Amino acid sequence: MKSRRPVWSAARARRIVQSLAFLAFVALFLNVRPRPDWQPDWSAKLFFIIDPLVMLGTALAAHSLPMILLASVGTIFATIVLGRVFCGWLCPLGAVHAIAGRFFRRFWPNRKRRDAWSRWQLTKYCLLIGMLFMALFGVHGACVFDPLVFLYRSCATAVMPAGQWIVEEGSTAVYKADPGIGSFRVAKVTEPPYQFLRLNVFVLPNAVFLGGGWILLLFVATIALNAYRPRFWCRYLCPLGALLGIFAWRPWLRRKVDKAVCNQCDLCRIGCHGASCESPGEGWKAAECFGCMNCVDHCPRKGLKLAWAAPWNNEPKIQPLDLGKRAMFGSVLGGAVGMCLMRISPQARGSTFNATLIRPPGARAERDFLQRCTACGLCMKVCPRGALQPAIAEAGLEGVWTPRLVPLLGYCDYTCNLCGQVCPTEAIQPLSLEEKQKIRIGLASFDVNRCIPYAYGRDCMVCEEHCPIPDKAIYFTEVDVVHRDGSLQKVKQPHVDPEKCIGCGICENVCPYRDGPAIRVMSANESRHPDNQPVQGVPSPY
Amino acid sequence: MHCCSRRGFLAQSAATAGVLTLGSKPLLAAPLAADQQADMTIAKWAGAANPDAKEIEAIAVKLTEQAIAGLGGMQRFVKKGDVIWVKPNIGWDRTPEMASNTNPHVVSTIIRLCLEAGAKTVKVGDNTCHAAEKSYHSSGIAAAAKALGAEVVFLDPSRAKRFDVKGENLKETAIFPEIIESDLVINVPVVKHHSIATATVCMKNYMGVVVNRKAFHQDLPTCIADITRFMKPRICVVDAVRILTDHGPTGGDLADVKTPLTIAAGTDIVALDAFGVELLGHKPESIGTVAKGAKEKLGTMDYRSLPLREIAVS
Repeated sequence: MKSRRPVWSAARARRIVQSLAFLAFVALFLNVRPRPDWQPDWSAKLFFIIDPLVMLGTALAAHSLPMILLASVGTIFATIVLGRVFCGWLCPLGAVHAIAGRFFRRFWPNRKRRDAWSRWQLTKYCLLIGMLFMALFGVHGACVFDPLVFLYRSCATAVMPAGQWIVEEGSTAVYKADPGIGSFRVAKVTEPPYQFLRLNVFVLPNAVFLGGGWILLLFVATIALNAYRPRFWCRYLCPLGALLGIFAWRPWLRRKVDKAVCNQCDLCRIGCHGASCESPGEGWKAAECFGCMNCVDHCPRKGLKLAWAAPWNNEPKIQPLDLGKRAMFGSVLGGAVGMCLMRISPQARGSTFNATLIRPPGARAERDFLQRCTACGLCMKVCPRGALQPAIAEAGLEGVWTPRLVPLLGYCDYTCNLCGQVCPTEAIQPLSLEEKQKIRIGLASFDVNRCIPYAYGRDCMVCEEHCPIPDKAIYFTEVDVVHRDGSLQKVKQPHVDPEKCIGCGICENVCPYRDGPAIRVMSANESRHPDNQPVQGVPSPY
Repeated sequence: MHCCSRRGFLAQSAATAGVLTLGSKPLLAAPLAADQQADMTIAKWAGAANPDAKEIEAIAVKLTEQAIAGLGGMQRFVKKGDVIWVKPNIGWDRTPEMASNTNPHVVSTIIRLCLEAGAKTVKVGDNTCHAAEKSYHSSGIAAAAKALGAEVVFLDPSRAKRFDVKGENLKETAIFPEIIESDLVINVPVVKHHSIATATVCMKNYMGVVVNRKAFHQDLPTCIADITRFMKPRICVVDAVRILTDHGPTGGDLADVKTPLTIAAGTDIVALDAFGVELLGHKPESIGTVAKGAKEKLGTMDYRSLPLREIAVS
């Protein structure tokens, strides 16, 4: 069998393009790495700007759209003409699932039913309808589970940190133990790759993301589902796949089976990525076909090919998807319930602010921000100090995985404005450095019960010296402290000047206390919220 | 000055006959003869006043060359095949004109002199406060060092080793081994205001060899004396081309920068610190770290008692 297979085939071409697209994703992902003199361009967000779901979801939720996202109109046209080739040829998450599916097929072969059409594949359309209904009212869930967003976030906050942890811990253990035979040292082999990765691939040492374990678990779980059905995510869940399926309603490029040749051997359905056929040789659903070309390759009688047809032609035949009125209604109802679920909290109603929800500089006011943020993780990947972390519950259910600044883990670099430059949906607005340096993202305050000069009568100045504001948002007053033995000592006690503090969080980050810093930045006085300004007399940049 | 006047006097008489003039004016020692070895040099710009940024670059190079030459040249400290660590202050993400970091042209001149003296490798690096990649870049030091073939090292806390500093306050602490395992460490600080120590020059610059120095600030003089004793300084070069007079050690405002256009080099770290703090308008004995250094016999505050060579450069 193997020797009869052609060297060059459509499926092989697809595999090459798919691999290249995946490698392009990896290369662009690794290139998003802050370094002096690097200015991110559109290539950093390439996969998001060709994603029609990000465009549609943002347009519906935010009622406006960054121009660059219109690039995805090209993807829509390609889908109208060629069908869901994006899923089969270009989607990097699709490639991950294709590889995983192939692996499980090897490992666990001969299950024909795995590639037969299942009615449950309509689930993704129901999810999409529900989520787009929610998007109409400003809930951005459709984009949070967009495959490119899902992959980027998983890589940035879970896969990459996991890989980095292995490299760092492993090489450090070898370095410290220094095993070897004679004059040969194992560390001689492990150190060069470690140093290379440290200086050229990792963003910062010990990069970690809060809740990254859960994100990794979810990512691995979706991959593991390939054991049940190959490309489970793509067939059953993917909201972008569903959207493209709608556009691939009547593609110009269609599967054509030569009835005279077909003996219904059903080999065409084995390995079908989209599980797009209902029965042997028949019942092809254009909306479910990824254009993977495996069927064309597998047909031993060469009775199967792709042919062009005008949209109004009925031949070659397309079997329509029948979602049904009840499923449609149920999806919309589900969306409405989901929305209530997210909005019935004081924070979502706008009557309270979360002190630990510090948004990156340039982030829009919370409601507007949530309507745009897809939680793709690009800002977290680019943050040079690892300060931007995926929110868990701080922003409510609606804001899960959206970026928040966690000063204990990292701070907002005074001379950096990268997060706004990479944000694909401008949830974080692009700002010049001068503008960004005026934006307040929070306000620092001292816990005088812990702060060393207040609580223990000793000098400490770490927060003050790190404060990047040229004329310092932290200043000292000198006081006489009486020690236990009655002796007097002059101690410098620090204070925050609310007019100068921009909430960058470096003070909290460098405080000698690592369990609970004695200076904390909280979201009060953040520029983006006129209602969250408890300390008066601070001029607003707006 | 009083606590050291006797030691200063002894050093003085051992060198050349000098005249001590007490008072607020600097003490004047008799100039060294051309063949006498100096232990400290002060190279001061005596050319055209108010140079622009471009001219300051050239002045920094000349001053550094003269200051080192005055000590007897770099070959006095560097042997053929040595691995040298140049330790500037690269603490902050600030440009050279802010005087928050050591002048890159001073650093590059020292690198060049080391290589000319036969050093095998010259490494440059500091444990920065702001992000290292940024500070190395904005300070201009990474580019200047790389251009001369020096190795720009990004220190790695995970490769640090614990050393017993045997200090009064500092005991066992994690230190970057690449620095102290090199044959010679050249300490190249910039003279700056410091909000707790009042002034920072050479001794405080050694804080950059320690991984976690946050707790130092609760007793800076003792910790700094401890780490200075551990580092056994052999040569320091004080960059006072530009100095930061306020909002230190971070700076960031040109209004706080002065340009004394001076480089001091020498073997006595306390003497160089005393000289540095005087440039900022302080009496050495009023600065805790300097007084503690003198008390711990790490050097003398009375730098004029040393074999001192003052060079007017133009």
